[in-house]
Amino acid sequence: MTRVLGWLAALALAIGLVMAFAIAPREVTQGNVQRIMYLHVPTAWVAYLAFGVVLVASIAYLARRAAVADRVAHASAEVGVVFTGITIAAGSIWGKPTWGTWWTWDARLTSVAILFVMYLGYLLLRGMIDDHERAARYCAVLGIVAALDVPLVHFSVYWWRTLHQPPSVLKPGAATMPPAILTALLVNLVAFTLLYVYLVAKRVGLLQQETEALAS
Amino acid sequence: MSDHWAYVVAAYALAVVVLGAYWRRLVRKERELKALHTARADHNTARTDHTMRSRQPSIPAHPRSDPGKRSPLQ
Repeated sequence: MTRVLGWLAALALAIGLVMAFAIAPREVTQGNVQRIMYLHVPTAWVAYLAFGVVLVASIAYLARRAAVADRVAHASAEVGVVFTGITIAAGSIWGKPTWGTWWTWDARLTSVAILFVMYLGYLLLRGMIDDHERAARYCAVLGIVAALDVPLVHFSVYWWRTLHQPPSVLKPGAATMPPAILTALLVNLVAFTLLYVYLVAKRVGLLQQETEALAS
Repeated sequence: MSDHWAYVVAAYALAVVVLGAYWRRLVRKERELKALHTARADHNTARTDHTMRSRQPSIPAHPRSDPGKRSPLQ
């Protein structure tokens, strides 16, 4: 099942690349550098999704103490950190030619950096505590607290004056972009979501095997 | 505005490197766990063989004689 998911994700990513570089038109204002959007926005979406899953799985773990919920939260946080890192790096690379700077301490960028550091802390906390049950409990609490930063990240562009543009897709009302660009973006959103599901499924399986290896 | 292809390539290349490194890490971990599992299975099989062997009579080539057939000198 995981293998099939992996191949599906690879196929979707290949189609996404073709859409981003061959089908989507050159953006009039920014030129071809705007094609970074087909990487930056989907990875940001997956990061939101990943930390949303951490939130739900952590609540489920605290309510039922189900080991599988803890494993899902752990895997999703790990994959979420990877995707947040890519989002920050790709955004920074896109920012240099368009804004004239690699980094600025505006509300969106700072809140994303805080999100990244909080989930890095989450993973460090897991590694620091030997007692598995205690680590799971502490991390569930931290996972819930850290996920509260996600709405702050999303709405920061409305609540504060920022250099970052407001959302074009994840907002009330119709998307404000040409259909060809929107289609390429949506295909990449699906592709990166499939990749996220594949990576989390693989990581959950490995965590299960690690637990069994430690128990035997 | 000029196209800045170098930035586009850098962003995608970085994503490929990061995702590739993470995927390789998962594959390596999977291989290590499989090797550990195989090593443990081999160890358990060897231990079972040893236990079975220790329950066999140690010198089957020297059976005791039937006491009724023994002469008084025996």
